[in-house]
Amino acid sequence: MTQSVLTRPPVPADPPPTSAARGRRRRGQGVAYLFLSPWIIGAALLTIGPMVASLYLSFTDYDLFEAPTWIGVDNYVTMFTGDERFWHAAWTTTKYVLVSVPLKLGLALAVAMLLNRARKGVGLYRSAFYAPSLLGASVSVALAWRAMFSTDGTVDRVLSSIGLDIGGWVDQPQYALLTLVALAAWQFGAPMVIFLAGLKQVPRELYEAAAIDGAGPSRRFLSVTLPMLSPVILFNLVLETIHAFQAFTGAFVVSSGRGGPSDSTLLYPLYLYQRGFTDFRMGYASAMAWVLLAVVAILTALVFRSARRWVFYAGEDR
Amino acid sequence: MGRVSRRGAAGLLVGLVSLTAALSGCGSDSADGPVTLRFVWWGNEDRAKVTRAAVDEFQKRNPDIKVETEYSGYDAYFQKLSTQVAGGAGPDLLQLDRATVGEYAGRKVLADLGEHTGKDLKLDKIPANLLEGGKVDGKQYAVAGGATTQMLIFDPTHFEAAGVPVPTAPGEKWTWAQFTEAMTKVGAAGQVAGTTDFGWAVDWFEVWLHQHGKSLYTPDGKLGFTADELAEYWEMIGTMRSGKGVSAAEVTTKMDGSVQNSGIVTKQAASEIGYDSAVTGYFGAFGPNLKLAPLPSDVAESGMAAMPPVSFAVSQRSKHKAAAVKLLDFLLNDPEAGKLLGASRGVPPNEEIRAQVCSSADGGSKAVCDYEAAQQDKIGPAFGAWPTGSSAIKRDFQRTYDDVIFNRVSVADAAKRVVQDAEQSLGS
Repeated sequence: MTQSVLTRPPVPADPPPTSAARGRRRRGQGVAYLFLSPWIIGAALLTIGPMVASLYLSFTDYDLFEAPTWIGVDNYVTMFTGDERFWHAAWTTTKYVLVSVPLKLGLALAVAMLLNRARKGVGLYRSAFYAPSLLGASVSVALAWRAMFSTDGTVDRVLSSIGLDIGGWVDQPQYALLTLVALAAWQFGAPMVIFLAGLKQVPRELYEAAAIDGAGPSRRFLSVTLPMLSPVILFNLVLETIHAFQAFTGAFVVSSGRGGPSDSTLLYPLYLYQRGFTDFRMGYASAMAWVLLAVVAILTALVFRSARRWVFYAGEDR
Repeated sequence: MGRVSRRGAAGLLVGLVSLTAALSGCGSDSADGPVTLRFVWWGNEDRAKVTRAAVDEFQKRNPDIKVETEYSGYDAYFQKLSTQVAGGAGPDLLQLDRATVGEYAGRKVLADLGEHTGKDLKLDKIPANLLEGGKVDGKQYAVAGGATTQMLIFDPTHFEAAGVPVPTAPGEKWTWAQFTEAMTKVGAAGQVAGTTDFGWAVDWFEVWLHQHGKSLYTPDGKLGFTADELAEYWEMIGTMRSGKGVSAAEVTTKMDGSVQNSGIVTKQAASEIGYDSAVTGYFGAFGPNLKLAPLPSDVAESGMAAMPPVSFAVSQRSKHKAAAVKLLDFLLNDPEAGKLLGASRGVPPNEEIRAQVCSSADGGSKAVCDYEAAQQDKIGPAFGAWPTGSSAIKRDFQRTYDDVIFNRVSVADAAKRVVQDAEQSLGS
């Protein structure tokens, strides 16, 4: 990614194409579309189609079983003016994103730097640290998580043995969300691998030059590693933020689909699910989905805008 | 290119024609061809085992009908069911409860069983008050799969150790004050709480309301109680919580009506209020050393009622309604099926079968039969069906109670919120 600015292909200075050439190109495009067709068909039927349908449904009263009836913007109005749980779910998700994303990225960067330094058995460690991410989104790990953090679970026992008698984390409103944050942070494998790739691209000479100028490890980290890595940080930040806003499996499994105890794990997507599939208000759930899409899009745009200030691309003059 | 696409179109046409033929073949509800039914329910393993045995017997007698069965826990069951029904892949015969009969009938998912009644579906042996629970707007959309009543199931060892008597013999009863004292004593004496905190379930509040001449819902589907009444009830339970009379908040928040999460099975409480249809499940998960007692009451009315613990219904969209009704009739009226099913959904709804099953019952089924016999004159007629919106109310009730037990809101405010939310759910 750091190379993209440098390696952009030169604009072709061809003469205007003749009609025969145009025909050839069009046939070429036909083949391209043929090869793209599995993706195009999948995207149209499984992504774009349902998205358009959900946009329509968000303006209707739809209970899943009977035909939807058009109610205009009522769903959106109710959401913003008459639904306390909507705001509660939005706030819970905000807390979750604000804590879990930096934690996960911090862990990913820390482990990536350790692995970048190690010589022997790097492949083994890399796989070991990546493994949780392969398992992480699965229901079974969330179940294991619930068992570990419940009353008399592993965590409770270990903490009790050193005198911290907190009880089951997942059973208490003040700790339950923390278990979800921990579950998310533990799955740092994907950003870690990307960080590792980024670290390998930082030229050694920069570190050597910095060392000669008398920069210590923390100075080298702040003045060399972080700036050189900033495009990768941006990429990971955007991706993980979007993921975190959509977090569902962990909250659903840990709270048995209820968002409890006392609504403390009611993440926005879980509330959306409850509205659609247990309250039978699919129109309302669709409207919630579009609000989430809008919020995530705006936040992503803001992050990209802020990136001008802190992301450094190699080859730029600063 | 052109030729290829013409050939492609021809192929597509042939494909469509054969597909249409195949679909229309599925659509016919012919009695002669082999049909496959899907029958789903929620419950514990003991229920699954005996229900499968009954289904096997049905298939043996009806070789042209194949029955696929599926079961899961309560929450998961309804999550799956709504998705399947919405996607057009719903089951043919399904199990519902009081909150969901109204919900699904009101949304036109269930078939009106009235046209089968008296023909291929015999309901004359089932008491009228049980059948009432399956009616919505006067139409029979569901039939009780059993009869149950409220009970306190308890582990006598804890009560004996604390020296607390529990009324179990016919005619014996206790007041709420005696109940509170007993639970507090057990909680103070032993490792476990006296009883699982029962404030989370709207079902037990319903009993308390009936003891006070009120009801959860009025006959015309409005809310039948006030915030003050709910506050009084929750305050009463609150007095037990401080002295370990009822289970701690961390235990209570996990309650979902399933036996494996129940306070008594997880050894967090010495007793628990429930429906006696779950007794075979308790016996399976805990062991046979459990006893049953009636709920406390300060008045002559016990507040307990003969209820359908579950109801069976046929999907309106089922392609094999006749076969589904046949299976339903078998489960309700066949003596062999009755013997196999035992008291896995409460005592059998069919009175003849009930007498026959109870005369030869053992284990959990016997405990249920004995309890029903002992409490016979205390058990009133079934409460009315719950209106559309009641499953949301049931959930909101539990959610708000969570806030109460974790001290996040005062009882008075919580009660007000329940009433507000409920009125909204009934309105929508």
